[in-house]
Amino acid sequence: MTSLSLHAASLAAMASDQASAAVPAAVAAPQLAWAGWILWLPLLSTIACCLCAAFRVRGKAPAVITVAALAGSFALTLALYGKVQHGPVRIHLFDWIDLSWGSGAGINSLTANFALYIDSLTLIWMLFVTPLGTLIALYASEYMEGDLPARGGRGYARFFAGVSIFLFAMGSLVMADNLVMLYLGWEGVGFASYLLIGYYYTRPSAVYAAKKAFIMNRIGDLGLAAGIWLIWLNFGTVEYEGLFQALAQAGSDESVGGWSVKAIPFLLMLGAFGKSAQLPLYVWLPDAMEGPTPVSALIHAATMVTAGVYLVARMYPAFLLHELALPTVAWVGGLTALLAATIGMAQYDIKRIMAYSTVSQLGYMFMGLGVMTSFGAVYHVFTHAFFKAVLFLTCGAIMHGFAGQLDLRKLSGLRRLPGWKITAWTMFVGCLCLAGVPGSSGYFSKDAILAQAFVTPTPDGAWSFRLLGWLALFTAGLTAYYTFRVWFRVCAGPVHFEAGDEHHGADHEPAHQAGHAGHDAHGGHDHGGDFHPHAPRLAINFVLVALAVGAVLAAIPYFWPAYGDGWIQQMVSHSSAAAGVPSHGAEGAASAAGEHGGSHATLLGFDPHTAMYVVSSVFGLVGIGFAAWLHLLNRKAADALRARLLANPLTRWLPTAMENKWYVDELYIAAIRKPLWFCGHLFALFDRYIIDGVLVDGTARLPKALGRLFQPLQSGALQGYAVTMAGGIGLILAWVVWVWMRGMAL
Amino acid sequence: MTDVVAKLQTLVPEVTLLVGAVLAALLGLSRRKQVRDAVPWVTIATLLAAMVAVPFFNQLDGTTAAGLLMPMLGGTFKLGILAVAVLLCLLTVGLVDRRLEQAFATGRAPFDAMRTIRGEFYAFFLLSITGLSLVCSARDLVWLFLALELTSLPTYIMVALSRGSRRAQEAAVKYFFLGAMASAVFLYGFALLYGATGTLVLTDMRGTFALQASTGGVSNLAVIGMILTVLGLCFKIAAAPMHFYAADVYEGAAAPVTAFLAFVPKAAGMLALMLLLGTMGWSGHSMIVDSIGFRQPIEGLPQPVVTVLWMIATLTMTLGNVGALLQRSVKRMLAYSSIAHSGYMLIGIIAGPTTGLAAVLFYLFAYGIMNTAAFAVLAGLERRGEEIESLDDLAGLRQRHPGMSVVMALAAGSLMGLPPLLGFWGKLYLFIAGVQAGHVPLVVIAAVNSAIAAWYYLRLVGLPILSRPSPQSETIGNGLSVWPRVAGVLGAVGVIVLPLLLRPMFDTAALAVSGYAKADSPTAPAGTLAAKALASESLASEALASEQESAD
Repeated sequence: MTSLSLHAASLAAMASDQASAAVPAAVAAPQLAWAGWILWLPLLSTIACCLCAAFRVRGKAPAVITVAALAGSFALTLALYGKVQHGPVRIHLFDWIDLSWGSGAGINSLTANFALYIDSLTLIWMLFVTPLGTLIALYASEYMEGDLPARGGRGYARFFAGVSIFLFAMGSLVMADNLVMLYLGWEGVGFASYLLIGYYYTRPSAVYAAKKAFIMNRIGDLGLAAGIWLIWLNFGTVEYEGLFQALAQAGSDESVGGWSVKAIPFLLMLGAFGKSAQLPLYVWLPDAMEGPTPVSALIHAATMVTAGVYLVARMYPAFLLHELALPTVAWVGGLTALLAATIGMAQYDIKRIMAYSTVSQLGYMFMGLGVMTSFGAVYHVFTHAFFKAVLFLTCGAIMHGFAGQLDLRKLSGLRRLPGWKITAWTMFVGCLCLAGVPGSSGYFSKDAILAQAFVTPTPDGAWSFRLLGWLALFTAGLTAYYTFRVWFRVCAGPVHFEAGDEHHGADHEPAHQAGHAGHDAHGGHDHGGDFHPHAPRLAINFVLVALAVGAVLAAIPYFWPAYGDGWIQQMVSHSSAAAGVPSHGAEGAASAAGEHGGSHATLLGFDPHTAMYVVSSVFGLVGIGFAAWLHLLNRKAADALRARLLANPLTRWLPTAMENKWYVDELYIAAIRKPLWFCGHLFALFDRYIIDGVLVDGTARLPKALGRLFQPLQSGALQGYAVTMAGGIGLILAWVVWVWMRGMAL
Repeated sequence: MTDVVAKLQTLVPEVTLLVGAVLAALLGLSRRKQVRDAVPWVTIATLLAAMVAVPFFNQLDGTTAAGLLMPMLGGTFKLGILAVAVLLCLLTVGLVDRRLEQAFATGRAPFDAMRTIRGEFYAFFLLSITGLSLVCSARDLVWLFLALELTSLPTYIMVALSRGSRRAQEAAVKYFFLGAMASAVFLYGFALLYGATGTLVLTDMRGTFALQASTGGVSNLAVIGMILTVLGLCFKIAAAPMHFYAADVYEGAAAPVTAFLAFVPKAAGMLALMLLLGTMGWSGHSMIVDSIGFRQPIEGLPQPVVTVLWMIATLTMTLGNVGALLQRSVKRMLAYSSIAHSGYMLIGIIAGPTTGLAAVLFYLFAYGIMNTAAFAVLAGLERRGEEIESLDDLAGLRQRHPGMSVVMALAAGSLMGLPPLLGFWGKLYLFIAGVQAGHVPLVVIAAVNSAIAAWYYLRLVGLPILSRPSPQSETIGNGLSVWPRVAGVLGAVGVIVLPLLLRPMFDTAALAVSGYAKADSPTAPAGTLAAKALASESLASEALASEQESAD
């Protein structure tokens, strides 16, 4: 019954949507209050994990609790999807902020209840966040074993508490019904990320990375907070429901447009760039790899970093407030993609390569949003979540098994090692998707973005989208190269490995007997034979396979239920992310049918959507070809190429700069950190001598002097007190009488 | 006949307290140590019994308290009084007559019923609480005067008994003489009020004043009488210009008695102020500007009374806080802080019903708890049989007495008004009431004063926790009796936990004074939450209506 009525309501909303091109109105759905448990379960799990830590539970209880809670959240999300489909519906959980002040015409209010706004965009996000969270928690239950109290570790429960609080915060961010609650989740995921990056808090580099991530995010969050404030100031509400209506009116009303309105998209953008690691705030993400690998996979690849994309998609109507807002998003995304890809090409740490590739892929998503294919962006978020999770988790398995070894020069031929087959081949699947090999899920999602760059006409005053499209295509080639560079180096080729420097000691050995089988048979050059790589066991392997299957199957929503109008497309077109995208679905269908008029853009003389399938395949395969030549067939050639580039004074800068990440960190240190450090010390001196010395102590002297003035009255003699009291009464009465005599109003 | 019975029924809690007082006085004379040791627990049991009796015999519908100015006050605030009294009584357990009892126990002195003071002390403790409790249900000026004296007279003796030292006796004598003088002042004020109205019954006085106000204003005799009354009552609440005794007396008395002095007479004075000012009424918080340009409340307190209250509040806050800055003795510092807190509470008194008076009641309760916790630290620790007093004693307390240092930090933080703690909410409530009643400058003065106060309260937070132990603090040990420390911990827990119950406590406080507001204006009492809700609803409906009109 409920779902029927909801359907009716959302159908009605859709009908009105096509008329007004606004975001459909939401239906209040108090009967769906159980959806709150999607949030409460991880929250309860957090509390339970904290209790486990407090009571020093020795077993794997925190992992069991977390996995169960997250699986419950996933099941509830599925049930919610069954009930709501497209939405939007609003589910009020409890009153949170509900203020009003002023009176009459000047009445102001700020309402931000703890309520859920469920529409198709929310559902897409929750449908990959919760299952990925569940699987990665499962993976971590094995991966984090070394930190079990039984093995002398201390952080097992703390880790799962962090994962649970992250899922709670991410859920609040995505399902929020207003911007204030989104901000709560936004800060919450930042906090969880800080906790988990700094998980190994005894390691200075991890602490440094955690602080860096937190501070970089603060810069972005400042933008978001200011953006929310301006939204409230201009539109009088922070609830999506009222806000989207106000924004729809603002879109058609030319008179709206003071600077405080025009600034909104740019401020929101800053928040999104901070959280999603885009230029200029991307530098925290590669360092965030200091956290445990499941965290990198979950937070810093699949879910949290897509929050920025979510924000832009959710607030899409707000990005139409300034004509250059979306082109800015597109170009920042495209340039980030290119820059990160060039850095990724030259790194040797496989986890860092994956981190840069994440930055690069996030750049694609923003580019997709910027060139007005919110569908492409969201679809890429969806596919990327799966295949990047696979890649990170395989990296984690390798790191776990080889005692922290992540250098691709010191690992080779893993697919031939017993026990590592699943890791190697799931990684292969992930690489296929990331490289955009034809037929893989990444191929379709990336093409949707690339093609749209050639379709959408460039707005006046913006840099050409066609140029951006070619840049992105070039980046796609680079992506294919660095992706397969990793795989060919690590998984293919002759068997050879060196252990990392994190010898876990004997305590790990009994648990990994399986990995030792056949150890003597392989021809590895391990140091003196005292190192035994331990292959992943059941939990890790299961998760890897499940995610790889997910990554492959993620291609399906592109075609199903209808080609060119797949599930994701349908979902996106019913959400706020479709606002302002002129009859998006219709255009997609039209382009598929080849009914474009002559005025439509072309790519190499063909319809971009069709041509892109071929063009991007070519770029991808060329990249893989280079990788195969340099890193599989003739590994010496790679070193020779590097040596030759370094030898030539004209080209020396290229590999040096790429390997040193274009010196961006150093630039930031010189341009921002050093001046701030200087200012900080200057202010400290000012504070010590002027504020503390003159103002505070000086002011404190005043009341003290006043006190000394009255001290003689406090002589301790009874008669003195009596006289003073009587005098006080007398004075007051005298004053009253004096006023009386002067005839003033008493 | 039934009237008398009904009236007596409302007094069952007080009668319980009286019976307990007699019992305590008798048991305290016993030769057996066990029986004497039971006296504080008899006192606490009496207090708890009275607490249980309050809801049964003070019905909140006001039927049992008909004819009172604030009929709901008894049934609600007595509970708060008795709860704080339990805490105060815990503070005294095993402390007041420590030396004497030790002498009896070690055999250095034979037991002497003439010398033992335990019975008297607890009997007077209960009698003073009885007096405070009776103030709540005062019907007329005579009752009010007797109740106030019943509250104060035992305290003079308690101060003298509290320590075997001369300082306590000196303090008691000062307190007694100055108290007598203050009583004379407000009794004179009562006489003038009687002369102006011709009645002693508070509700009748209210009617007379309303009549006078509607026909040319309250008589000048009444205004002078009210000012004298207020000034006299300033002694009870330790407000300027009658605050001079406070520092000496508080310092002279033992810490548990000081805590008692800071709460019980202050509460009595505040309640008396509420009742007496209530006869003139605050009705109509909105002000009008009269022909000469003076802002006058409509039918409210006469302007001179308001001005005098303003002056008293400002002076009290400022002198209290400034005086506290200079002190090295924690007890003197807390004495001055007690003066300053009276100043804050006067804001609520000036603001009037319902929010202002409710805020005063809430603040009294909160102050009772946090102040008791602070004194509990002084009472619970000792050096060579003497309670600790100076700031140096507190330095680095964390090292050896971590629990007490946290209690002191929490109590001082709450007195300062640090946000999540109880004192913050009390202060906030007072300030909101002040702003609502249009006394913004007064609230600003209070806020500045709070900032000054932070300077010395932060020392009480910082010294025990952050600083290194001083040579003095090294020699400090736990007191003989554990109960003062228990009281301190209970108070500190209350300071943290009670804010969770803010809503019910605020509502109870508002209920306590709601009877007055109802009588005040039968339709919708101004300033209550309900009235605000009504107002905003009507605003919203107006807005809706205008929208519909424009749509049409």
